[in-house]
Amino acid sequence: MENIEKQLREEARKLLSEKKVDALVGYEQGTLPYQAAPCIITEPEEADRLVWNPFCSVNLAKYVHDLIFQHRESQTRTKPEDRTKKVVGVIARGCTTRSIVIHLQERQYERNEVVIVGVPCTGYIAKRKLFRALEGAEPLACAVEGDSLKVETAQGSKSILIRDILSDSCLTCRYNNPVISDINVGEPAPPMNPDGEYNDVDAFENLPTDERWAYFTKEMDKCIRCYACRNTCPSCYCKVCFVEQSQPRWVGVSVDESDTQVFQIMRIFHQAGRCVDCGSCVEVCPMGVDLRKFLKKLDKDGFDLFEHRAGESLEDPPPLGAFSTYDKEDFIFEP
Amino acid sequence: MTENNTNENWEPKIVAFVCNWCTYAGADLAGISRIQYPPNVRLIRLPCSGRVNPFYVVKALQEGADGVLVSGCHPGECHYLTGNLSARRKFAMLKRFLSYIGIEPDRTMFTWVSASEGEKFANVIKGVTERVKALGPAEKLIKAL
Repeated sequence: MENIEKQLREEARKLLSEKKVDALVGYEQGTLPYQAAPCIITEPEEADRLVWNPFCSVNLAKYVHDLIFQHRESQTRTKPEDRTKKVVGVIARGCTTRSIVIHLQERQYERNEVVIVGVPCTGYIAKRKLFRALEGAEPLACAVEGDSLKVETAQGSKSILIRDILSDSCLTCRYNNPVISDINVGEPAPPMNPDGEYNDVDAFENLPTDERWAYFTKEMDKCIRCYACRNTCPSCYCKVCFVEQSQPRWVGVSVDESDTQVFQIMRIFHQAGRCVDCGSCVEVCPMGVDLRKFLKKLDKDGFDLFEHRAGESLEDPPPLGAFSTYDKEDFIFEP
Repeated sequence: MTENNTNENWEPKIVAFVCNWCTYAGADLAGISRIQYPPNVRLIRLPCSGRVNPFYVVKALQEGADGVLVSGCHPGECHYLTGNLSARRKFAMLKRFLSYIGIEPDRTMFTWVSASEGEKFANVIKGVTERVKALGPAEKLIKAL
């Protein structure tokens, strides 16, 4: 872990001093001991700010997209021949590279506008699980020791096995090594448990309809529509999101619970064949809505119907952007 | 919709998104052939079944439709060549997803009716109306305010 961190800083310093990238997106130590915050560095001296630890959670592909688009926006009044490209470097684990593949497939930016520093990933810690393990105690300092996390709290210190508090997405991760990269750091990480990927979805599918609806409404009742899930999602990059569009007004903003449900249904459905299961939305949700149960269903169907896994390779087109005459038709109603 | 629930003679309201080139013409043929079918369906004409945003379906359910039907040309017969093929992918996922979250699968129906199938159009409407009637008035996802 520390070795990777050292190599990352070295690579970052090199990229920035050789001017191969204009900015580099990585993680830095957050303001709380159990946090790693995304950071953008532009000078080689800043490379020492970068960290790599199991608290690095959110998907950085979102920041790559934002930076490139912010730069393009700033050039709208520049003559076309004077416009420059901004090359963004990014420290990317498996899910981040898959999100970048989706961006590239959807023609958001060119491959040469992004430099991917691939890092093997052994999973990140879900903060909710950490808090549950600490039973309400506030962590004052955290340190990784081998495969466990040593946490200092006001009540004393506690050692927790990292595997027990990893995010659900990481436990069943299929792509913990980068799918595309320009520079690779560290040795490939050992595989997680992708066979159990759809166990949750399968169990949920077998429940009676009304129980499923009850669970869905219970979860969506927690939602306060802060749109944190949308803001952190690398696949949610529309300039104007449907929730803010007012002509036509797609989704109401009243306190009626159906408005929230419709918002969630549509945001989730927009991820059909595009969700890489990075778990960022679940991680940033302040209310702990179980979004993964519904997103994972789309992932499962995408593979089931079209044998597509989001962001797996640049050649495999997004399922809803393609078609075949031989697609399954069992859902068509014949009187 | 709430007044509907107490009514003993409840009749379902079904919104049908149909494509201009096949199903709408099929409905026309059913009309000029004087074929009888239940009057519960409200047709909305669109250029193509590929034009149907999945949001339309969800929105119709939220605004009080008891059932939604989407119908277009048979695969391979699309006026725009491939509109219905991409629609088919969208709706395969949408139907599974809506069933997954607990909306009865019979509330969202997808079918193909060509311009020469007036008889089939009438049968589709009969079939859909019967199924939605069997489910009763929609209670999920309905906007109350």
